[in-house]
Amino acid sequence: MLTLEPTRLKAAVRACALGAALVAAPTALAQTSDSLVIEAGRIVVDSQTEIEDGVLVIQGGRVAAVGKRGEVEVPWEAPVLGGPEFTAFPGFVEAYSARGMDRANERIDVAPFLDVRDSIDPINLYFQDCLRWGITTVNVQQGPDCVIGGRGRLVKPVGITIDEMTVRPGYGLVLSAAPKSGLSRATQAGTMREAFGELRRYLEGIVQDAKDGGDYARREALAQGRELEGEAAKGRPFQSTASWSIDGLEMIPRGAIDGKQGPLLDLVEGRVPAFFHCGGPHDVHLALETAKQNGFLERTTLVLQPECWKAASAIAEAGVPVIHTGPMVHTETDPVTGEETETFVLEVYRDKGIDFSLSSQNSSTSSLWYQAARAVGHGLTREQAIDAVTVAPARALGMADHLGTLGEGRLANVVLLSGDPLATTTMVEHVIVEGAHAYDRSKDPRNQILFEGADPLDNLRSDG
Amino acid sequence: MLLGTAPIAAATLAAFTLGAGPATDATLAATTVQDDDGPRTSWIVTADEIHTATGRVIEGGFVRIGDGKITAVGRGKIAGDFHVAAITPGLVECSSGLSVGQRSVEQDSESTPHVSVEEGLDLFSTRWERELRRGVTTACVAPDDRNVLGGLPVVVKTGGGEPTMDDRVIKTRVGVRAAMGSEPSAGNSPVFGRAFGLFNRRPTTRMGVEWVFRRTFYDALRAQQDDDFTFEGVETVNQVLAGELPLFIQAAPRQDLMTALGLKAEFSIPNVVIDAAAEVIPEADAVVASGASLIFAPLEFDGTASVEGAQLPWNAPAHMAELGVTFALSARSTGNADYSLAMQPAHAIRGGLDPVKALEAVTIVPARLLGVDDLVGSIEQGKHADLVFWSGAPFQYTSSVTGVMVGGELAVDPRHGEEL
Repeated sequence: MLTLEPTRLKAAVRACALGAALVAAPTALAQTSDSLVIEAGRIVVDSQTEIEDGVLVIQGGRVAAVGKRGEVEVPWEAPVLGGPEFTAFPGFVEAYSARGMDRANERIDVAPFLDVRDSIDPINLYFQDCLRWGITTVNVQQGPDCVIGGRGRLVKPVGITIDEMTVRPGYGLVLSAAPKSGLSRATQAGTMREAFGELRRYLEGIVQDAKDGGDYARREALAQGRELEGEAAKGRPFQSTASWSIDGLEMIPRGAIDGKQGPLLDLVEGRVPAFFHCGGPHDVHLALETAKQNGFLERTTLVLQPECWKAASAIAEAGVPVIHTGPMVHTETDPVTGEETETFVLEVYRDKGIDFSLSSQNSSTSSLWYQAARAVGHGLTREQAIDAVTVAPARALGMADHLGTLGEGRLANVVLLSGDPLATTTMVEHVIVEGAHAYDRSKDPRNQILFEGADPLDNLRSDG
Repeated sequence: MLLGTAPIAAATLAAFTLGAGPATDATLAATTVQDDDGPRTSWIVTADEIHTATGRVIEGGFVRIGDGKITAVGRGKIAGDFHVAAITPGLVECSSGLSVGQRSVEQDSESTPHVSVEEGLDLFSTRWERELRRGVTTACVAPDDRNVLGGLPVVVKTGGGEPTMDDRVIKTRVGVRAAMGSEPSAGNSPVFGRAFGLFNRRPTTRMGVEWVFRRTFYDALRAQQDDDFTFEGVETVNQVLAGELPLFIQAAPRQDLMTALGLKAEFSIPNVVIDAAAEVIPEADAVVASGASLIFAPLEFDGTASVEGAQLPWNAPAHMAELGVTFALSARSTGNADYSLAMQPAHAIRGGLDPVKALEAVTIVPARLLGVDDLVGSIEQGKHADLVFWSGAPFQYTSSVTGVMVGGELAVDPRHGEEL
């Protein structure tokens, strides 16, 4: 049941009505005020805090106040959404996804000059499905089929242009310790090392050229059409915790650094987070080693396949957060006896004190609430499971102050559920993204096809 | 069989205990005695909820097992060997998902209704143990759908006793396996344009598939009239025509479903089960009118069945339940525990199916379709002690299978965690 009651119609008409009209999902309602009030029978602020019969006040796209009804001051002109039958929950955070693009990777082994901004498709069904499952923030990155991939972006699944969708541009660089398809482990590691070796040689080369009185870097940049103005014209000394360093880098204007080497330099100087894929425990060691040698271990998040639980000690020691992908229970077969043993991976991470997030990686595992519910089934506590799909991903994405809970000051990403967040029959009924009502299940045509057996194509019905 | 308070139960239980063990205890202490060496097959298990699949849920009850069979079920506070949150019957997988691969079907001909899978079984395969860990205690093994008429499935237990035909195969000649659609024609190609070989043959299209089926059944009818005419498998086909053997026919997309129902009507085949059923809602009237039973393809998150990309909305089982159609749920065997048969009822419940019906659709209904409901499929006295133990209410996403018992043997021990 949706109640939208502008308490002052004139104010509603005068106020800007176009805000939420430009959403990808065909179910958005027009937002007619900068404020929004959400009422819910239960508000799950975070995994430890629940408020019965609560009220959320949203202003300017952020949570202005949250509390029990009657104890929170509610702006009288704000529209009201929700009702006692709903449970409000923080929008789920997808810590890593290579979907929503035409292809997850390029064929090139080392391609840090790429950016997902060029391949994200705002009307891809994936973003619609995100809203359907209550996911309000997605970290779109390139996939694991590379040695070094391109830059990613934090997006919200609303908007029909990439700019509208963007929450944080130029965020993240992908690396893979697991061999790219067709490469052996040795080639993968060699290519990885070579990429950083090449960066180092390139930087040394242009610095030497500048010291010799040449102007190669600047001329090359201008020839490539890059303007060297403002910040780009300034040089900065090399600053990194890497095991190597470059003297004299301040002689080179930053904007003159080659387009392929620039993002790698940013990575080495710790200016961009790294998402490092690992297929197995052996990959973890390569990843941690590479990150440490090249100064970006502090900013590394590991993206792990199930078998990586065996490297849990090394991960715990390195103190890096991880994003778990793939099945939660790892099955392995004894090569001698043929017996299969199962390990609940998340329990291993938890017991070692590793900060882990869950992810929904393909269309048949979609939905973070399902992953969280299954995690409880396998043995995590409810709090741990909810954290793994809300605050842990927010932390891994450096957005702990903005996402993951319904606390004051957070971005107003709210999901209204028809029941308990982890219950089998609960549906996502409404989704609010940064204060704009972005999804209404009762008006979702695909939901009717998916859940109610509506005919996707009318012409399949025979005429009477 | 509903028992009252414990003391009364004691006497009644003693009277009902099966097995001729010499030291039958009259008290309900947790000491159960076994005759032979080998894994223990006599227990008393208590639970907060026992879902018997007979229409009753027992709250705060027990199951008593003697020599691998269920000897008593009832309500009451007694001392058992261990306690679990919930018990359901062992799950019964009745679709063809546990096929043993292409070697399970004789492909020298598209129509081999008489060939039984039983000689092709590998009972040593670890896949049985994997299914058992996921809660599936009874499974139908059918020929792969590379033939139009593939042959005769068998029903196996996934554990218990030794991996021998005697211990594990509980029924042969379960029915006849058939398939519509593109799978049977997938390996074939037309004679022209390629070097001649075994697979240059009909069918290469859907219409060819239907033709092979129709030809086989016409030949059977002809053989009934003409004493000089016969073919391999004619007895089996005649048994299908007479309703003595059910016909399991895979038909997921709407057009295949209509073809299958059309063939049923054309040959008046009495007993037809549509496997991998998916697009049934648009043809609900036809399904109801035909009297066919269904085995649903596994419910997937994106609403598409894995067979032929057919649409399978989440409410399909609930809709069929409303119309009174008999159906079972299935899960093609999978490596991932979160997408197993134990999860399918939860998906169906999410789509609106009544939880009692959801339980029946993975226990007693598939047992009936396979003709083994006298042995398995519910927690009733005399049936095999096949039980699944849950960490919470069964078929909820937040619950998991913590233990499995098959034939009274504890294959997965809920007291120790997920592995034996």
